[in-house]
Amino acid sequence: MDKILRINMGSEGGPKVTEEARGAYEGMGGRTLTSAIVSGEVPPLCHPLGEDNKLIIAPGLLSGTIASTSGRISVGCKSPLTGGIKEANSGGQASQVLARLGYGAIVLEGKPKDDNLYKIFINNDGVKISPDNSLKMLGNYDLVEKMKEEYGDKIACISIGPAGEMKLSAATVAFTDMELRPTRHAGRGGVGAVMGSKGVKVIVLDDTGMKMRAPKDPEKFREANKIFTEGLKKHPVTGEALPAYGTGVLTNVINEAGAYPTNNFKWGRFDNCSAISGEAEAEIEESRGGFTTHGCHRGCVIQCSGIYMDKDGQYLTKQPEYETVWAHGGNCGIDDLDAIAMMDRLDDDYGLDTIEMGATIGVAMEAGVAEFGDADAAINLIHEVGKGTPLGRILGNGAAVTGKVFGVERVPVVKGQAMPAYDPRAIQGIGVTYATSTMGADHTAGYAIATNILKVGGYVDPLKPEGQIELSRNLQIATAAIDSTGMCLFIAFPVLDQPETFQALIDMLNAFYGLNMTADDVTELGKKVLKMERDFNADAGFTAKHDRLPDFFMKEAFPPHNVTFQVKDEDLDRVFDW
Amino acid sequence: MKFLKKSDRIDFPEGRNTPCLLLTLKADMIPIFFQLLQKGFMVKTRVGCSIKIFLLEQLGLDPEYLKKRVQTVFLDSEPVDNIDTAIIKNGSVLALSAAMPGLLGAVLRRGSYYASMRSEISHKEEIESVPLQEGWVVVKLFNLLIRELGPIFLERGIWIKKNDLQGFFKKHLNGLKVGLESIRVDDEEYNLEKLSKMEWTSGEFFLKIRGV
Repeated sequence: MDKILRINMGSEGGPKVTEEARGAYEGMGGRTLTSAIVSGEVPPLCHPLGEDNKLIIAPGLLSGTIASTSGRISVGCKSPLTGGIKEANSGGQASQVLARLGYGAIVLEGKPKDDNLYKIFINNDGVKISPDNSLKMLGNYDLVEKMKEEYGDKIACISIGPAGEMKLSAATVAFTDMELRPTRHAGRGGVGAVMGSKGVKVIVLDDTGMKMRAPKDPEKFREANKIFTEGLKKHPVTGEALPAYGTGVLTNVINEAGAYPTNNFKWGRFDNCSAISGEAEAEIEESRGGFTTHGCHRGCVIQCSGIYMDKDGQYLTKQPEYETVWAHGGNCGIDDLDAIAMMDRLDDDYGLDTIEMGATIGVAMEAGVAEFGDADAAINLIHEVGKGTPLGRILGNGAAVTGKVFGVERVPVVKGQAMPAYDPRAIQGIGVTYATSTMGADHTAGYAIATNILKVGGYVDPLKPEGQIELSRNLQIATAAIDSTGMCLFIAFPVLDQPETFQALIDMLNAFYGLNMTADDVTELGKKVLKMERDFNADAGFTAKHDRLPDFFMKEAFPPHNVTFQVKDEDLDRVFDW
Repeated sequence: MKFLKKSDRIDFPEGRNTPCLLLTLKADMIPIFFQLLQKGFMVKTRVGCSIKIFLLEQLGLDPEYLKKRVQTVFLDSEPVDNIDTAIIKNGSVLALSAAMPGLLGAVLRRGSYYASMRSEISHKEEIESVPLQEGWVVVKLFNLLIRELGPIFLERGIWIKKNDLQGFFKKHLNGLKVGLESIRVDDEEYNLEKLSKMEWTSGEFFLKIRGV
């Protein structure tokens, strides 16, 4: 983790590899590191698919250690979808493997001078880059199978599907899971398109012969990890609800709250929601011999994922997550879990963001391209994207582009990025985060991370409506810091409810790096990250006008509560006053 | 964790003129019926009381279970912060869930630190008093509560709307073929074929599931 690997894809004579010490990036990981490199090295006005943009892939600070649930990896760049800074993160095996290989980040720079498609192999012996045009337009699943044939099954892959090669703004970067399937994705903001623009199809990692990263104080680290792990296991959310049902457990609850955007954000209640709930998903998985409790990487104790089998008992995809089931399900009026699982599989294979694609298909349905509820039509639209037809290329560039092409007014995006599965009229506090996040509409930008313990920004009365601005600010600060650790955001609940679990997290960081960090330092780190990102966006042309929700949220009352978004513009402009 | 109060063995009363459907089947098949509990079942009860009194005294939940497990409560789609003061009315829909993940899970919890983020839809205290009287409440169970309370409530018996029950049997009739011991509709023995051809004349049915 003490080296940064730079690969200049545009060098004379072919890609050039350099390894360097961290230097100014010492002590940074995950989102802090990706945002620091983007804000420090990428010209804010550059074209996102041009030679001046960089793609940074950075494990979290605790990745590659024995710390539980620490395998998140961040991908950063200037986003082709939003035009601003982007950090998208993912689970999978790569974070642990890359960290154990000793790299704090891989930075892809420049732009190839030829049309070749490259693969990169990294192991203990070094880095090999070779053109391999036989990989062109392969789906992620076939690609990984080819890599297994070539490099064996002790590898982890970071790859793009056809969507990334076509440089579509909804393209993802895929990461393989424990079974070496490309099911985990840095989904948001079109990071896959930037990888495609660098001419890189796949990065294969092999950490054979490498050991777990060693902490500065092994005894304290082991003890803190033990307390942290016990905290995750004993909490009802991370120890019971998530392992039993996965994130789909939220479906019924959000629907009951009338906050479940249905048929392209027309209303907040999907009638046949129980057919696509986490409970229904678990029942199907169990009855077909799949799994309801499964990790996305080794060392995860929450195990919120699962394996979804088709009607014949054959593997179809990993357990589709709440956001995916909503995007391809309720948002498109579809109540068939098998069809939704198929769309999840296709998104993973073509390398597409499930949230962006579901929202886009919802907009296309609004335009009359297909009927709401027509699962077969929705599946065909994803195939259009994978094949790169003219319609597919429109859809693959996301909801905003699709809405513009088809003249749709109700387009649920902020800064060009589609909104996730919570309507901001029902849950107005999340609307504040959607509007003001540096990333565009993003439900993970202001997660429920222990702001009560951190006391970020002072005490907020939870029952007073005016606390929304302050809470959103505090959540965004705290989340920016946690995104740097490599910890999964689902640690939020035990950290929120159990002060000893929060302290154990800080103790782990201190014991590993030999630091004396306090909760205040965590807050300062979060502020520093947000400031870098805000400054980049400002230099890229973003103003207060971009920190707004689309007009229809203020005009269309949202059933069943019949509310509009009420937060005033001047209040949104206060979010980053600290 | 104990789900119900120690001494309570509450049976829901069967409604007059409501057909009673009793299914006896292998215990491991009971989860098939959980989808009905997500959609909601009716409880004949005394309304005009608080949610807390309803859950403790009418449904018989254990106080500790209510405090620790039932973390998310909706009354007529509104997230409830105070179950002592939120009043059940005739026709109310009460949804119960354990603590949920994610920001929204945190936001929707009762008494949540993040409650202000959903203040526009939160349950507000009643201004007018609601008289104590007999009435009907629709109860929905979600996630962990289905697994824990579902089998108990199904054994007690629940009222289900005709359309929900019809739709359920249409979807699951084949799945019930293995493991089903007997079907009784009121005092008459049925089999699956007869059930599939049954005329659903009543608006509601009283459904009891007995696991063996």
